[in-house]
Amino acid sequence: MNESEYQSLLEQSWRRPLTVEEQARLGAWLAARPQAQADAEAELALTQLLGQLPNAPVASNFTSQVMQAVAREQAARARQPSFAETIKRWLKVPAPRLAWALGLVALGWLGIHQHQANVREDMAKGLAVMANVASLSDPSALQDFEAIRRLGTSEDDELFAVLTAK
Amino acid sequence: MTTVPDPDAALMLRVKQGDASAFEELVEKYKQPVMNLVYRTLPDATEAEDLAQHVFLQVYKSAHRYEVSAKFTTWLFTIARNLCLNEIRRRSRHPADSLDETYADNDEQPIRQVEDAKTFSPPDTMLHGELEDKIEEALAGLPEKQRTAILMCRGDELSYEDMAKILECSVSATKSLIHRGRETLKQKLKPYLRTGAWKEK
Repeated sequence: MNESEYQSLLEQSWRRPLTVEEQARLGAWLAARPQAQADAEAELALTQLLGQLPNAPVASNFTSQVMQAVAREQAARARQPSFAETIKRWLKVPAPRLAWALGLVALGWLGIHQHQANVREDMAKGLAVMANVASLSDPSALQDFEAIRRLGTSEDDELFAVLTAK
Repeated sequence: MTTVPDPDAALMLRVKQGDASAFEELVEKYKQPVMNLVYRTLPDATEAEDLAQHVFLQVYKSAHRYEVSAKFTTWLFTIARNLCLNEIRRRSRHPADSLDETYADNDEQPIRQVEDAKTFSPPDTMLHGELEDKIEEALAGLPEKQRTAILMCRGDELSYEDMAKILECSVSATKSLIHRGRETLKQKLKPYLRTGAWKEK
């Protein structure tokens, strides 16, 4: 048996009493390692101690109480009206609910209306800004643009010479 | 054809179809393990019982969501642990409120109709007096995850993999939790372990 098998045996002992064969293996391992003996004994003692912990007290009518609670739950579920029934009930009391519903619709309409007005106002402001932008200069000013642009490139020496000769 | 190897899963499938007797069977089978866990999280017997009942009610309410792929005990103890954690959190926020107020969702009938009669384990498996108190105290002093891991490890209902799922961590982390918890317990209970006071009376 090696160290990992020893650990595995200890882990087994946490769950259930060791078999005679396992106990013998453990005993043989510990006989060769007296320094581990105290710890192993403490482990086994603790396991035994935890195993002897008494069960928590349970009322004799525990199960029947749970079943009563389940029955109440079922009854409550049965009493719970379906969606269609809820709507029907809701519609049966028209006056105040209708008033609430109309109020909500009116509020919604006002909200949408206000939103649309805000959008239109923003668009008008945008158009006003665009109208104030200065107009572009006369397109005739750009007629020599290409020639001037090419002046900057070193390959067009010939063109440059022609232009400067003018 | 689908096979259901776990008998508890088979019972849960019946519960899903509205079979109350299947549910009763499950309650009867698991009331003690659930109570053992809940009682050592909320050490008041009455409140622990209320919470344990709520665990089963929750199981019933959630039965439609149960999938056979999940082991029933893993699912049950996950619900139990989550409700315990909720209760611990609730208590830290509202220390004066009782559990009855929390779970009183039906005013027509009182939730508690507890008889005085309590069932205890046979005397030969009981520890008495000081030693029992010391163990309970030492367990109560552990962090929740270590305590839950050690309590679940006592029985053979749950594998390390199941425990890991319930504790929402890896198998190695679960073993580490148990190991650390046990180390703390060994330190706290050292005098009793040395004198052999643990040995059966």
